[in-house]
Amino acid sequence: MRLTFIILGLITSILAVILAILPLYILSFIPAILAILFGLLGFFKSKKAHKPTHTTQLIFLLTIIAFAIATYQTVYSTTEVGDTEQLELREESSLEDSMNELEDIEIIDSDIAD
Amino acid sequence: MQRLLIALLLLTSLSIEAQNNAFIAGEKLTFTASYNMSGLMTDLAQVTMETSEVKTSSATLLRLKGTATTYSKWDSFFKIRDLYESYVSPKTVTPYLYKREINEGGYYKYVKYNYNHKTRTVKSVLRKKSKNFESGFWDRNSTVTITAGTRDIMATLYQLRTLDIHKAPVGASDTFTVLFDNKETKFSFTMMGKETLNTALGKMQCYKLKLNVIGNDVLKGNSNFLWLSADQNKIPVFAKFKVAVGSGELRIKDVSGLKN
Repeated sequence: MRLTFIILGLITSILAVILAILPLYILSFIPAILAILFGLLGFFKSKKAHKPTHTTQLIFLLTIIAFAIATYQTVYSTTEVGDTEQLELREESSLEDSMNELEDIEIIDSDIAD
Repeated sequence: MQRLLIALLLLTSLSIEAQNNAFIAGEKLTFTASYNMSGLMTDLAQVTMETSEVKTSSATLLRLKGTATTYSKWDSFFKIRDLYESYVSPKTVTPYLYKREINEGGYYKYVKYNYNHKTRTVKSVLRKKSKNFESGFWDRNSTVTITAGTRDIMATLYQLRTLDIHKAPVGASDTFTVLFDNKETKFSFTMMGKETLNTALGKMQCYKLKLNVIGNDVLKGNSNFLWLSADQNKIPVFAKFKVAVGSGELRIKDVSGLKN
């Protein structure tokens, strides 16, 4: 049982760190909370059985790192549009090309400007 | 004589109603597109819809431009730079030229429609990236026969705004034929009533419309809705949609250059 909690704690804490780096950082709070729970259970089981607690300490360390990164991202990350220079160039060249094409298009009578 | 006058008056009022009183050149709408990821709505991209005037030797047209751009934090994972354009009549929103150039995570597609409303045909160009050709692109030219009133997706969105929605009772619906990927697809909008929404622009009273795509399963379930502002501008304020790979939302962020 002790080993199961430690393995689950390690998996969830690593997952929390990975998610915290990705744009989906908000999701990392879920495995981070689970990692704390598994880590605590593993820690108390280890204490009871007089076994080393190094791995559970690693779980807590990873979880703290995940929390720190995710919290930083939540506070400081902004939703800004990326580089649109190429898109703007495409828009301009498309307009020029469209102007030439529209010269040859037959406009129906009801749409001709008054 | 009196009957003739009444008939003339009626005709005049109908033609006034058919006019576009909802938007003019210079309008810009900015939206935030969100996608549901594991139960969390995550802001994914910015969508803009802009109008501008285009003058040719024979007519003055309106350029309806739509762009979709992912936020910088998503660019390294899935970069989207989409461009939609439709050149339409400012009065009737009849399209004459449509272009769609999508660039989504390395996938490229270009579609161009040249409408000929006299012969009810559309000259279509479909372009994709291909290593088998020297130019790097694979082109397919075809001519598609369309029914009267068929529009592209951009022109349909704007045409919807020109309708007298305030006169529509709850449950009333209207069907639009949209040319998408060289196929005519029927979209139906059903009036669900009025709702007040909290938006980035403040509290807004809106018309709630239910969207259905007939004979196509691109939209899933019965939870696809569009909210248009319940004023003369009828701007899209909020949209909820469900597709095969999840569900998403489109929320108004900013507006400028409104007609009314």
